[in-house]
Amino acid sequence: MTLLDFARGPALQWALIIMVAGMLWRFFGVLLLMRGKVLSKPRSDKTVWAGIRTVFKRSWVPPVMSKRTQYQLVTGYVLHIGLFVVILLFVPHIEFIKGITGLSWPGLPNNVITVATVLTIGVLVALLIRRMTQPVLRAISNADDYISWFVTMLPLVTGLMAFAHIGPRYETMLAIHILSVALLMVWIPFGKLMHMVLFIPSRAQLGAKFERRGVEA
Amino acid sequence: MTRDLTVGEALRQQGVSRRGFLKFCATTASMMALSPAMVPAVARALEQARRPSVIWLSFQECTGCTESLTRSHAPTIEGLIFDSISLDYHHTLQAASGDAAEKAREQAMHDNHGKYLLVVDGSIPLANPGYSTIAGISNLDMLMETAEGAAAVIAVGTCAAYGGLPQANPNPTGAVSVMDLIKDKPIINVPGCPPIPAVITGVLAHYLTFGTIPELDHLGRPKAYFGTNIHDRCYRRPFYERGEFASTFDDEGARKGWCLYKLGCKGPVTYNACATAKWNGGTSWPVESGHGCIGCSEPAFWDRGGFYQPLSQATMTSGTVLGAAAAAGLAVGVGAALMGRGKHKQAQEEQK
Amino acid sequence: MNVDRLKSIGVVVEEVPAGAGNALPVLHEVLHALRRLSEDGDPTIIDLRAIPFGPGDEQALLETLGEGEITATLDSLGRTEIRETRYHGVWVVDYLGPDGERVGLQIEVTEVPGLLRTPAGDIGDAVAALQERLAAAEDTSSQENNR
Repeated sequence: MTLLDFARGPALQWALIIMVAGMLWRFFGVLLLMRGKVLSKPRSDKTVWAGIRTVFKRSWVPPVMSKRTQYQLVTGYVLHIGLFVVILLFVPHIEFIKGITGLSWPGLPNNVITVATVLTIGVLVALLIRRMTQPVLRAISNADDYISWFVTMLPLVTGLMAFAHIGPRYETMLAIHILSVALLMVWIPFGKLMHMVLFIPSRAQLGAKFERRGVEA
Repeated sequence: MTRDLTVGEALRQQGVSRRGFLKFCATTASMMALSPAMVPAVARALEQARRPSVIWLSFQECTGCTESLTRSHAPTIEGLIFDSISLDYHHTLQAASGDAAEKAREQAMHDNHGKYLLVVDGSIPLANPGYSTIAGISNLDMLMETAEGAAAVIAVGTCAAYGGLPQANPNPTGAVSVMDLIKDKPIINVPGCPPIPAVITGVLAHYLTFGTIPELDHLGRPKAYFGTNIHDRCYRRPFYERGEFASTFDDEGARKGWCLYKLGCKGPVTYNACATAKWNGGTSWPVESGHGCIGCSEPAFWDRGGFYQPLSQATMTSGTVLGAAAAAGLAVGVGAALMGRGKHKQAQEEQK
Repeated sequence: MNVDRLKSIGVVVEEVPAGAGNALPVLHEVLHALRRLSEDGDPTIIDLRAIPFGPGDEQALLETLGEGEITATLDSLGRTEIRETRYHGVWVVDYLGPDGERVGLQIEVTEVPGLLRTPAGDIGDAVAALQERLAAAEDTSSQENNR
């Protein structure tokens, strides 16, 4: 069995199993956690609506904080939009998802994807430098942060190398790329990358809690 | 014996003029994927080359490789290469049969010991030598016996080069390739299912002209033909770059000749000359005819997931398996949370 | 099997594509070779076998090169057609097999393609052959004169 056959076969299979089982385990485990009874009087009964509203409202920054957080906001958006374009709008990736779920949608031309990949890699490097130099960020950063950064970066770099025929022979580079994706999948349930699903209940819960207390969130 | 004539002399004896010989050299050099600037060197070498004895052994094969070779479009040019060698043993092509044929083989091996070329097509079964025999001799025995006095071995077709179809899962005959068995002779692998005929004769022509093995890659294939992958030479590449793919075999994209990645083309990981040399005398090749490359010159290409499954898809995963994983994850997550709640309630009770 | 029923299946020839755009780079290569021939006198041979032509490309290329004032045929090991294109110095050499099928196609950018030149050995053979022919003719005529 070549490296590519291993990557496309057992490696992806087990990575997907671990990712799916792990994400559901953690998601529902966290969702159903005890939060203790709230004994104060509710100021409002629109908690559900407030929760939903907060999920969307947290997508931008309140005016009073905007100047201090501008860099973070812009780089954050470029990063996430870049990841969305590269992962979900590149035809071979759409085929991968189609193979598992049966769903597919149109993609973008390869040169657009290449530009998006380079941009995303650049932003990730900039964010790492910031994390390592800004004193507060450096103090609160732990292994989880750095591992999450690494497993996100690796598929982007290896994918670009495979596509551009840089480095080892194509079939080897493709195998390395697929294995790096398997690594990312395995890490997702265990680290901060779970924010990709947890942000919804997290924001909703905060919004509901604050609404009950009569505070704007 | 005509074997003692040089190639140049043999051709002139057949009435080929000097200009005809130049044409022969130009087309042979082209077939060997050499630059036209090398034609004078080829001419000089061929003028003096001796005709090697060739023994062709066919084992567990479908005869497609021989068919490919004999159906080649240029019987004169490629046939001349063939006429320029002394094919002393070949099941399908020889007139003799039975004992006479085996005697001819043994005679050729004896007369040319250490100098003859051994060509093999088909894989060799190891599970039970009786699965494939010739004149009562097992393939394994015949291969080892004949390879002993050979100058070099050419494994023609993916079966001889890497095991091919017989070796595909579950490999009931225990099929192995030539290079799995022969360790002490130079081996040239010419894979393909079948290989392009010009590639087979090009390798023979190289040996004929230069008396040496051409430069080989890590899988033992001549780099002249197997040095680039199909994707890098495919004329449909611009469509791949622009993101224009055919989704089914009869949709608009297919009619317009767009990239066949989504239909499972294995071009990016297959190394062969199909995109430039093409098939049937340059008529067309699978992609040009609308079907994705199946990767037939690569080892184990039968077991790489489906021919119609794109390269980026996982080959072993299924909805059922993932559904089970999801159910398991959900069960454990909810179970753990409920256990946690139970403990919390218990703690609260104890506090009271 | 009734072969006649096969004939009733209508085969529709769709439009022949105008080419996948691979003729253009080859034409540029020809131009470079022509410049080299013009400035340094160095000939070039371009083997079209190694070029990834899509459907229609080869036709587009040959149509662009067109036909010039010389066409020659070599009859040895099958026919070979050698013709100058509309661009002087650019020759198309079409190697054909015994059944007329193409076994090679090359573009030669040169003053005279190699195959058109007479090999030195052939000239030597020709001298010997004609000498012999004339000697035989003289012998015959002197024999007649002596009667």
